[in-house]
Amino acid sequence: MTNTIQILSIEKTGKESSLQKEHNNKSIKIIDGYFFSRNLDDQKFTKISKLISNDVSQTILTKKNVNKVLSSYSNFNWVVEIKFLPGVTDNIATTVKEIIKDNLKSSFKSFELGSTKIVLIKGRKEDITKISRNEANPLIQTIKIYPFKKYLNNFKKNKFKIEKVKLPKKKYSKKEINLDISDYHLSLIGKLGIEENDKPRRGTLGLDLESLKAIRNYFSTIKRKPTDVEIETLAQTWSEHCKHKIFSAKIDDIQEGIFKKYIKGATEKIIQLRKDNFCVSLFTDNAGGIELNKDWIICHKVETHNTPSALDPFGGAITGIVGVNRDCLGFGKGAKPIANTYAYYLADPNKKYQLYRQKNKDPMLPANFIAKGIISGVRVGGNCSGIPTPQGNVYFDDRFAGKPLVFCGTVGIIPKKIKGKLSHKKKANPGDTILMAGGRVGKDGIHGATFSSEELDPNSPVSAVQIGDPITQKKMSDVIIRELRDENLYSSITDNGAGGLSSSIGEMAKESGGFIVNLEKVPLKYDGLYPWEIWISESQERMTLAVPPANVKKVIKRFNARGVEATIIGKFIKKEKAIVKYNKTEILNLDMEFLHEGYPKLNLKTSFPKIKKEKKKIIKKSSLIDKLHKLLSSPNIVSKEFIATQYDHEVQATSIIKPLQGEGRVFGNATAIKPLFADEKSIALSQSAYPQYAETNPYDMAGCSIDTAYKNLIVSGANSKKIAILDNFCWCSSDEPDRLYQLKEAAKACYDYAVAYQTPFISGKDSMFNDFKGFDKTGKSVKISIPPTLLISSIGVVDKISHLTKITPDDGDILLVLGNTRNELQDSVYSKIIGYEKSKNPVVNSKDALLTYRNFEKANKLEIMNSAIGIDLGGLGIAVTKMAIASKKGLNIDLKLKNKISVDQFLFSETQSRILVSIKKNKLANFKKIFKASDYTIIGKCTGSDVIEFKDNKKIMRGKISDFAKSYKQNIKGL
Amino acid sequence: MNVLVLSGYGINCEIETLHAFEVVGFKGKIIHINDLIQNPNQLNNYQVFAIPGGFSYGDDTGSGNAMAKKIMTNLYDQLTDFSLKDKLIIGICNGCQILINLGLVPNLNKKDPEVALIENKSGSYECRWVDVKVSNNKSPWLENISTLNLPVAHQEGQFMIPINLLKSIKANNLIGLQYIDDDKKLAKGQFPFNPNGSKDDIAALTNQNGNVLAMMPHPERAFYHYHIPNWQSKTLKKFGDGYKIFMNAKKFFA
Repeated sequence: MTNTIQILSIEKTGKESSLQKEHNNKSIKIIDGYFFSRNLDDQKFTKISKLISNDVSQTILTKKNVNKVLSSYSNFNWVVEIKFLPGVTDNIATTVKEIIKDNLKSSFKSFELGSTKIVLIKGRKEDITKISRNEANPLIQTIKIYPFKKYLNNFKKNKFKIEKVKLPKKKYSKKEINLDISDYHLSLIGKLGIEENDKPRRGTLGLDLESLKAIRNYFSTIKRKPTDVEIETLAQTWSEHCKHKIFSAKIDDIQEGIFKKYIKGATEKIIQLRKDNFCVSLFTDNAGGIELNKDWIICHKVETHNTPSALDPFGGAITGIVGVNRDCLGFGKGAKPIANTYAYYLADPNKKYQLYRQKNKDPMLPANFIAKGIISGVRVGGNCSGIPTPQGNVYFDDRFAGKPLVFCGTVGIIPKKIKGKLSHKKKANPGDTILMAGGRVGKDGIHGATFSSEELDPNSPVSAVQIGDPITQKKMSDVIIRELRDENLYSSITDNGAGGLSSSIGEMAKESGGFIVNLEKVPLKYDGLYPWEIWISESQERMTLAVPPANVKKVIKRFNARGVEATIIGKFIKKEKAIVKYNKTEILNLDMEFLHEGYPKLNLKTSFPKIKKEKKKIIKKSSLIDKLHKLLSSPNIVSKEFIATQYDHEVQATSIIKPLQGEGRVFGNATAIKPLFADEKSIALSQSAYPQYAETNPYDMAGCSIDTAYKNLIVSGANSKKIAILDNFCWCSSDEPDRLYQLKEAAKACYDYAVAYQTPFISGKDSMFNDFKGFDKTGKSVKISIPPTLLISSIGVVDKISHLTKITPDDGDILLVLGNTRNELQDSVYSKIIGYEKSKNPVVNSKDALLTYRNFEKANKLEIMNSAIGIDLGGLGIAVTKMAIASKKGLNIDLKLKNKISVDQFLFSETQSRILVSIKKNKLANFKKIFKASDYTIIGKCTGSDVIEFKDNKKIMRGKISDFAKSYKQNIKGL
Repeated sequence: MNVLVLSGYGINCEIETLHAFEVVGFKGKIIHINDLIQNPNQLNNYQVFAIPGGFSYGDDTGSGNAMAKKIMTNLYDQLTDFSLKDKLIIGICNGCQILINLGLVPNLNKKDPEVALIENKSGSYECRWVDVKVSNNKSPWLENISTLNLPVAHQEGQFMIPINLLKSIKANNLIGLQYIDDDKKLAKGQFPFNPNGSKDDIAALTNQNGNVLAMMPHPERAFYHYHIPNWQSKTLKKFGDGYKIFMNAKKFFA
């Protein structure tokens, strides 16, 4: 055991309150610990302790005071010690090292350091196990449980050791792979990875037999065997995650595939019709770009990080958000991230699903742990990066128990021209240096791209988890956006995400022709990585830049001056070759054409699925007011205020429509930011998905998603000609014909509605295998597939801030519903909670919808609308209640029903394309000049009292606003 | 009138903070901490030193601590010197945490640090708007202001002050801002009016001269009327309450 020392600092008041509450145990104390790889003399111990603690709020534990200090809290009997596994990024340790090095300068060199979290508990052993399970993730952390006395003894004797990554320091010799083997053995390589001599296989490549055969053919033509690096690279580049093979495959009679026909096809058709400059950069770059005003472009990208979030919710979500931030940094010459968006589709955090990846072992994390981890991950990622996170939502359904969906989005801004050149155009030139900037490379996330394209099963590799370090990225981002970009010091830039260097360099080299990379130059977190690991590692916080040789010194100097590492790792060449060397040995040499286009194209067939009819439920007899309370407090409608207040949405001082709206703080479905000081032009953001509608009719589901995302922006006051949308398909079992049928239908709806609304798709991403294959608690094998989920994110330009609407009516306002209500209760929140009889699923009639939206826009510009809210989940009844809660003003609703519709159908149908508005009495005449009588219904007025009153003929039902607010603001059980 | 706005290592509110100063009439520059350490003499060109909000060093070892230690190691004398002149220093949010960790505020015993900012009582990050009243109106930053409506956004904003020190802070009138409730009375620790459980509802402290202000709320985020929540329902002038703080800085040098 090495002689190490640890510094423990204890908070006097403590950060254990939430832990104490959760475990209903007051005798819990959290301590921060720091391990040093060498002993410290008393003087250094005191000095370093002072540097890393605050003696007002913390006490440093020493051999002398430890008994006294700890016993003043409780008679602890157990200690849980949580450390990062060797090699996992330890951000705190990095900071502490930097403080010490800066302060002690030359007098204290070369030491290793690790941070620990120590939990002291008085309790039973079972409680301790439970607490340790909740506080740490075994994928990235080690957990040790000590009897308190033993721990104390160890502490006094410095009996702790620091563990470093010790990878076998073998000399690398080029590895050639024989592919002239049977189909069976070939497919094993694809499924389980390349064979190693004395170790298990490397882990899944996600390559199917056809792809491996294509590789075999290529190498037999060039008359040599492939290297391991070449196979790993092809696996990354050809992964579903990178190539979107399903979207580009021939499917039934659609030769060009659904992406070209329906998604890109819609945008092309729209551009053809519009003839304006709104669309700037589409589909080709890391994000999609549109025009904000004559001088500025905004870009938007939404990514998913589902599989990593299932394994390590916090880590998966934080890398999800900082990863999509880099997509903005990699848009054109580098856009500044100005807003984050989020959408989580989760299992019920109050339920115990008890799923196992292997029979009776390897359990899935509990649903509430996943939910909390995801919410925290995006909080830390967004807040630490100084990027506001105003827009988001959460949806719960049991079918996300095997895989949560985590959508993370970012909006960026960039001047149209930089030094006279168009900023969205970039080109790595032959001769440009390949520069890697930001974090170092470790084993993190090896096989992330190939693995996220596979179903989650027992062979899912654990090294597929990355740890985010938003501060390293923030430092790097500041240098790029504020210093290098505007001096035009580099010719191209892209981020290192899935597939790491192999993807970023491979993609960028398309601009110049090809590349030569010297892998031994890549800075590593620790020794002992194999070349193939360096090449595909997904270590975070890195950008790849193409820098003209004349600027390289300057660029590296700038990075270094800001505490950011930047390293020359190769150059771009004209020849269309991908070449990788490791200490002068050539380990990869492929034709760029084969690298990018050599994969076998799929030929997919679909078949009409069996439609699972919603089980008929008995309608629970209860009063209207009661039903409203039930819906308001249901997890999918209840306020998400607790997320909005922990996500900094005010940073950058741009928030002008906030996530919580009205004095009564209702969680809004659209938000707006004003990114420029000198221009009123603002950006409205929203998003929508209806997984609950998918199984009934995927076409209508997609229509509803587009309609809602679009409607929310119209209602917020965006210019209808300046709205763009993004598609994120999260599908399941995409090798099954009936799932592919649903996919095709949804994509077809994307085309139809986007073209109808004239709203182009500017970017998108898909994730095709969101299935869980494992076992339940009895050991029975189960497969849980998510419902097909299409998230549509919308981004729109608001020309003047006076166009922005509010959701709060004033006393005396007349309330109206724009658009007609149909009996469309199927798959609604109402049908799930209250029950339903015979009903239909919501179907969007784009002609009617457009009439409503165009009229709304016109009336809003003429300042006829006093307040407005889009009607979505829970229908009109919930929209009315939200208006009352937000404004704290009473409303009288007169249920004069038309079209043979019942009260419940009128109030709870989720018929799309409807808006609840209020107007001042004196504006009614002007309103009627725009809207025909058949396009709206007057439903009541704002009374300013403290109740909502529903009148059904002579029957009057009342509910207090404060009671509704209470239901709406209930805590979500389990969170 | 020149303002130096500090940046680097995860500080992230420098652009909007500089903008606020510029609108009221300052000339200013965002300067990276490393550039300032390289050339500390440039401080002489500035009358105001502003440490904006952010997440310096990701809050590792406690919010503001690591950056404070960097300043202490490399710039402490120059900054102390600055604070003793007829000049102004402001630290907002993370900047407040840095000033407190540096001991420049309240600076009663000339010993670092005397006060701590610890985790919010709620245990979570709080991004919300609060009302504060000005308690020490002899600080040039806070002159002629009675109350302010500003947003906070922090995880560690709870002032922790030893009892004896609190007595001298009060005796010396160094409490800058205090959280108040809807009736403009002290919040008395009540959430959400007091968003972090701060002792005596403290939201800001000053040094004895009042020229150094460490405040948790963000005035630069309440600068224009459209920053204010539900601004559409209110009759407002062009600027929000945050503007007053920056105007006071201008008046001090006018």
